[in-house]
Amino acid sequence: MAPVVGQAVPRVDGPAKASGSARYVDDLTRPGMLFGATLRSPVPRGRLLGVDRDPSFDWSGVTVVTAADVPVNVVATIERDQPVLAAGEVRHVAEPIALVACEDRLRLERALAHLTPRIEPLPAVLTIGEALEARTAIHGADNVMKRYAITKGRGRDGLTGCEVVVTGRYETGAQEHVYIEPQGMLAWWEGDDAHVVGSLQCPYYVQKGIKTVFGLADDGVDVTQATTGGGFGGKEEYPTVVALHALLLARKSGRPVKLVYGRKEDVEATTKRHPSVVEITTGCDRDGTFRAFAARVVFDGGAYVTLTPVVLSRGALHATGPYRWDDVSVEALAVATNTPPNGAFRGFGAPQTQWAVERHVDRIARTLDLDPLDLRLRNLLRSGDTTATGQLLAESVGAQRCADEATWASGYRNRRGAGPVVAGRTARGVGVACFWHGAGFTGSGERYLKGRVAVDLLPGGQARIRTASTDIGQGTETVFRQIAADALGVPMASVDFAIPSTRVVPDSGPTVASRTVMVVGSIVEAAARELAERVGREAERSGSTRAEAHERLAGTPALATCEKQYEPPPGLAWDDATYTGDAYPVFGWGCDVAEVEVDLDTFETKVTGFWTAVDVGRAIHPVLCAGQVEGGTLQAIGWALTEKLVTRGGKVLNPRMTDYIVPTSLDAPPFTTLLVEEPYSRGPGGGAKGVGELPMDGGAPAIAAAVEHATSLVLDRLPLLPEDLFEASGAARSGGGPA
Amino acid sequence: MLPSFSYARPRTLKDALTRLSASGAHPHAGGTDLLGCLRDGVFDAREVVSLSDLAELRGIARTKDGGLRIGALATLAELARHPDVVSRYPVLAQGAAAAASPQLRNQGTVGGNVCQRPRCWYFRGDFLCARKGGELCYAENGENEYHAIFGGSGCHIVHPSDTAPALVALGATAVVASAKGSRRVPMEKLFVLPAVDIHHETVLAPGELVTEILVPPPPPGARSLYRKVRSRAAWDFALAGVAAVVSVADGKVTNARLVLSGVAPVPWRVPGAERALAGKPLDAASAAVAARAAVEGAAPLAGNGYKVDLVRGVVEEALTVLATPATPA
Repeated sequence: MAPVVGQAVPRVDGPAKASGSARYVDDLTRPGMLFGATLRSPVPRGRLLGVDRDPSFDWSGVTVVTAADVPVNVVATIERDQPVLAAGEVRHVAEPIALVACEDRLRLERALAHLTPRIEPLPAVLTIGEALEARTAIHGADNVMKRYAITKGRGRDGLTGCEVVVTGRYETGAQEHVYIEPQGMLAWWEGDDAHVVGSLQCPYYVQKGIKTVFGLADDGVDVTQATTGGGFGGKEEYPTVVALHALLLARKSGRPVKLVYGRKEDVEATTKRHPSVVEITTGCDRDGTFRAFAARVVFDGGAYVTLTPVVLSRGALHATGPYRWDDVSVEALAVATNTPPNGAFRGFGAPQTQWAVERHVDRIARTLDLDPLDLRLRNLLRSGDTTATGQLLAESVGAQRCADEATWASGYRNRRGAGPVVAGRTARGVGVACFWHGAGFTGSGERYLKGRVAVDLLPGGQARIRTASTDIGQGTETVFRQIAADALGVPMASVDFAIPSTRVVPDSGPTVASRTVMVVGSIVEAAARELAERVGREAERSGSTRAEAHERLAGTPALATCEKQYEPPPGLAWDDATYTGDAYPVFGWGCDVAEVEVDLDTFETKVTGFWTAVDVGRAIHPVLCAGQVEGGTLQAIGWALTEKLVTRGGKVLNPRMTDYIVPTSLDAPPFTTLLVEEPYSRGPGGGAKGVGELPMDGGAPAIAAAVEHATSLVLDRLPLLPEDLFEASGAARSGGGPA
Repeated sequence: MLPSFSYARPRTLKDALTRLSASGAHPHAGGTDLLGCLRDGVFDAREVVSLSDLAELRGIARTKDGGLRIGALATLAELARHPDVVSRYPVLAQGAAAAASPQLRNQGTVGGNVCQRPRCWYFRGDFLCARKGGELCYAENGENEYHAIFGGSGCHIVHPSDTAPALVALGATAVVASAKGSRRVPMEKLFVLPAVDIHHETVLAPGELVTEILVPPPPPGARSLYRKVRSRAAWDFALAGVAAVVSVADGKVTNARLVLSGVAPVPWRVPGAERALAGKPLDAASAAVAARAAVEGAAPLAGNGYKVDLVRGVVEEALTVLATPATPA
């Protein structure tokens, strides 16, 4: 059987999605179903005194749920600080206060309009700066949610005596996921059993949330994924809230309830990428050899803790960039503000700190009058080096190869050497960024998760994968089938992928952290291999063909299924207390080269070329893999050039796709995507590593570097809108330019 | 979600106009702006009157005098690719092509594009602003980076249309009909500033409908273009733009009309810049002088000072392009 790993086979979910027969949650109905809606806070902070129902409105057939109806009013994530429905206080605009359901969507809107929260406003904390000042305390006395410190060698003291010390400050704004399908859930009860089906990344996260609120056991909850239109992390933790709301309405009304957000509501209420401020001071030799790195990283966590500690952790762990430093000090903290909780978003904290370090490396290059690429090449991590946490990089370190391939393919040196090309009223420039991304959960995460996958042999030569890793558009279904087919030695068409439902699939851990292919894919492979061996042994034992042996095993329940648990690589050591050791089993590496053309009259920036080389270990499906890289890069380009979430008094002013500007196909540059394969010995399919988040890390700093090359304008705050370039040009003209 | 309304699809213009004379009636052409406004609760509709059966409102055709008659229901896509428009009125074809996205241009009409409601985030959001009958313009002391630098008073919206500046620059006339009859309104007089009427963007009385637009023949020696600056390459409104129609004879500018988009509550003509060009050769020097004149009197708010320079840049760039004879304009 010719292997399918490494082949760009047609994606399995393609025909249903292209033909419109795929069923998303809003396509689903159940008999007697009601529609749900959410009453939200109009203010960022206040005492919630009650919810008034207009007595003149006809409330018959309308179900209203408030905090009083919630058995255990907690959204269970890391802390237990977030209520399912606000009780006593509201802490951000759009915080859910009450829920309404009825049969008729139009009447539902009216009912919502006749429900009024009584709120006494309180002073709110809306920015990182206000949170740090702590004149108003909303979380402890200092508004700090979480702190980490990473120290290597002499830490900050390493700066003393360095020949060249450079300091800079870098900022990023919020980013909205703009998954194509908004959040939505359909919920119902069968006796005491809770059922939800909807748009989600992590079925077992939703299950955990439901168990906590309703006091149910594992088998009392059934969470099933509907076809899901994108997630990017936005459907990691938030779907639990939507599921709980739908279930509360279903419980009180005794009817199935569907709760689907509109786009505006989704942008106003759900998670965003954490805004950040990062201050970096580095010391290096005059020849550019990096010596000491010190950073203070501050993330805006929003009103509740949710996943902020782990996002911050990943941000801190990637803060040094893919470079060698003798001494490192990273102080990272997350602060609370009265804004919707910020949460998981492709890259999970790493894009913010890598934006900062890459801009900083360009600053060092400027200070030393070195080419930014030469400076990077001198300091890129290699096999045998250690990271900030003291992790020895033993294998699969493709940083250098990525830099070589991307800069060679793009002709970076010629373009850079030619200087900014000014033609008429436009200027072209080119910039480079190097980046890394730890694949899988941080530190001991995978050890605690114990991800599991089952593979079944079915009659007729068929097999089935059962996993909680969901396909949300990235191609999991296809890639897992490829891995299993090769391991089983059967055609891909013989392998099925069970719909992820907590009653059917084991807990493989969440669909996050670039872990799906590398971690869960390796469990799929291990289970499938074991079944192939069983078939082989059975064939040998009975002197029959493999096909006959397969049928016999498929008919024997005890032998038809292999359920495997993830085995973390031996020898990995991580200490949560000191933040030292092996932060990730392995890293993905990358290098981006961006070319931009800036209109010197209007400061419009057009990305005219983009070359990206990423070390993915092994591309199971080269086209899907390149698709991840190009899509992720375009998302990074949007973050860099157009996406700006504007708020006033904690309220989003541009919650529509007409004014929250994500790039279109016309804004996408011509991509040259180079898949570098430095296999990881424990990766499936011959060495695959994670790729989902990696491409989010390099785009923004590469573009800022290119803009700087073209215009000499130094921009250290995202996004880079035309008006920001204009402002910087004014500052530069008046001599008050950035140092 | 859409609020409820009754829906009518009259067969004749007369019937449509009668229905539109009722209070709370709104015309439905492409619906690309109407549905968004209804969904966002910008206004309510008691009745939505579809114009889709009114064939007489469609089509683009040359008139006897050599001008152009554009039915109000002509789509932006039709306008952008019509050979007569492309060759004789590039500014209008480019304006239509610069609007929205391909899907929206296939659906959206020129009448709707000219009469669309502003995109101000306070007006579209849950703020009872002055334009919606409240007392405040929230943009005045709020987030105003995309608001007006000209013509704001008590309200600082910008006019969102890309075709209206072109039509004003071309000296077009709107034919406006109601149940009581019809009248002609020069495009330049169709739009009103907030100082005159803070609740409306046009002089249309209740029940009045733009049924067609008449464009005079292009003046001899005319060159024209529309230049729009925006954050992304498609489906985005103008940060600033200019519709420029300049006639040149014997190397001198005989007539110039420059109309800005994205910077004022109406398509904003800049007569000072037009005068600065008159009688001069069209070249880099006169372009620079005109560009400076174009921003005279600008009154930026706290967050949109950049638009002053943006207008200067975009006007200078547009005139420089028009001055280059090789440019197909």
